[in-house]
Amino acid sequence: MADLLKELEAQIAGLTTTKARQNVGVIREVGDGVARVEGLTDAMLNEMLDLGHGITGLALNLEETEVGVVVLGDYTQLQEGDEVRTTGKLLQVPVGKPLLGRVVNTLGEPLDGKGPIESNVFYPVEKLAPGIIRRRPVRQPMQTGIMAIDAMIPIGRGQRELIIGDRSTGKTTICIDTIISQAVLNKAAEAAGDKDFRPLYCIYVAIGQKQSNIARIINVLEQSSAMPYTIIVASPASDTATNQYLAPFAGAAMGEWFMDNGMDALIIYDDLSKHAVAYRQVSLVLKRPSGREAYPGDVFYLHSRLLERAARVGETYGNGSLTALPLIEPQAGDVSAYIPTNVISITDGQIYLETDLFYQGVRPAISVGLSVSRVGSAAQLKAMKQVAGQLKGDLAQFRELAAFAQFGSELDAKTQAQIDRGKRIMEVFKQPQYTPIAVETQVAVIWAVQNGYVDDVAVERVKEFQLKLTEYLNTRKPELLGKIAREKALNATLTAEVKAAIDQFKETWR
Amino acid sequence: MKTTRQSVREATQLYRMCLLDGRVQEDRVRLVVQKVLQSRRRGYLTMLRHFLRLLKLEYERHAAKIESALPLPDDLRSRVQQELANVYGTGLTALFTQNPVLIGGMRIKVGSDVYDNSVRSVLATLAKSFGIMNTN
Repeated sequence: MADLLKELEAQIAGLTTTKARQNVGVIREVGDGVARVEGLTDAMLNEMLDLGHGITGLALNLEETEVGVVVLGDYTQLQEGDEVRTTGKLLQVPVGKPLLGRVVNTLGEPLDGKGPIESNVFYPVEKLAPGIIRRRPVRQPMQTGIMAIDAMIPIGRGQRELIIGDRSTGKTTICIDTIISQAVLNKAAEAAGDKDFRPLYCIYVAIGQKQSNIARIINVLEQSSAMPYTIIVASPASDTATNQYLAPFAGAAMGEWFMDNGMDALIIYDDLSKHAVAYRQVSLVLKRPSGREAYPGDVFYLHSRLLERAARVGETYGNGSLTALPLIEPQAGDVSAYIPTNVISITDGQIYLETDLFYQGVRPAISVGLSVSRVGSAAQLKAMKQVAGQLKGDLAQFRELAAFAQFGSELDAKTQAQIDRGKRIMEVFKQPQYTPIAVETQVAVIWAVQNGYVDDVAVERVKEFQLKLTEYLNTRKPELLGKIAREKALNATLTAEVKAAIDQFKETWR
Repeated sequence: MKTTRQSVREATQLYRMCLLDGRVQEDRVRLVVQKVLQSRRRGYLTMLRHFLRLLKLEYERHAAKIESALPLPDDLRSRVQQELANVYGTGLTALFTQNPVLIGGMRIKVGSDVYDNSVRSVLATLAKSFGIMNTN
């Protein structure tokens, strides 16, 4: 009882009776998650407004006589004539490590039933991207664990790499694989007590996804023990358009905290096509003028300001980074549509996934010709660059020659050899989902392929050869893999050791 | 075809024509309304409705609505008016009303500004601090 009295006294003492000026407005009309409020002369753009009933709104349109407010909650409780108050605070979300392992909504409120989030640090949802003085070039690799990406379309920490492809081509799978790969690397470094290792934390933003899909992803991440390094910001299809529009910005704020505090983070926006649709809906109900495909005029700025927040900052500013993997789902492979072209032009490259390849069994269905990484090669591990430098060109040549070979024309020995090598490379790059491969293993396998060790293996047995070789290296030659990982480059001695190990394996291979 | 947006734009233009040194001139307003009614142009009703809304907002900006639970004594009324004139300048219309819902204290609204020192407001703040959201 004494405690209760003290508690009450403390709460009452905190209240002040002198009244400061409040800025209020009155709801003139409400509908479709948008309220038009008369008054509110002091409202700021993107300011949080108190709509009463415990509902928060966001001031998005400041007009001459009224304010267009998007309601972040159940707007059916609001009525014409209700008072709205300014709060003096911009829309903000909790950030920091307490969010790791949690599933939150757009406002950073927990959705996973694991209790409140113990974070007292808040970041504004809309924040200016780091300027040119703070930025440094992308130099450190971000290993996805997917061989085709790490070898040919490398992604660096601080890069923005678009993943684009029709529905059901494995876009989300690439992202989940990347998250799992980071968790594996983080855990390995923790276990080894590696002080120099920079863990990479992941933020997965689900925009307009089916709840069942989000639940499946959470399940996969939990089973792979990747959740302790991951934050999931969920704004499913049943969420309001406003929440879907704000979700990636909330996720970016959470990622920026890691970057500002000298850590590395990866953010996945799944996907920006649905985000653009949500923003179009918000804009139309706010009666903003519409442009091409009814998208508002600032839809490019919407995505550019979001993706510009991904960066690598210099040592003076903490040396942190935020890598962004936005996803785009074009309609029927039309990458020249409005939103895909916008995002392609903003990002530092794209990974293009093809439906045809997917159904041919090439998974991940990465189209090597159309995929590019504009800055990642600078961040690629030297060892990987040494073995995979020519791969992209070789595969492109293979594709061209394979197209000719379809006509059944006679081929010279050299061309035939190129085609045979290409087929084997394609096989090596096939990788089942949720099984990331360590970069040192990738280097050894690609070295074996490039040096003709797979040429005498039947195409249909290449995968088996690769698996056995990987198993052999992991069980019999772990010190060699460790050396590649440590030295990060293949010198003459190391190359000789790799050669000896693969020769030894080849003798046992039947 | 005349759109609503066009009518609203024209109403705003007419409203601006009625201003002199930032204050609405009543004679100009009467003249404008009279001319519009005479012309009976397409969309004139929408235009007049918006014109009226702008005038109402302008009136509210220069009107102080002073609510209290009990009638205020004359000396307090004049003190309140004086204080408001100090903040908002002269030309403010004071409107004193009684509102028992306030329980006690006073609530003053001038345009978008609200000074609420009523017992009801203090109770609402207290309820909010205890995590009780809906006090209406």
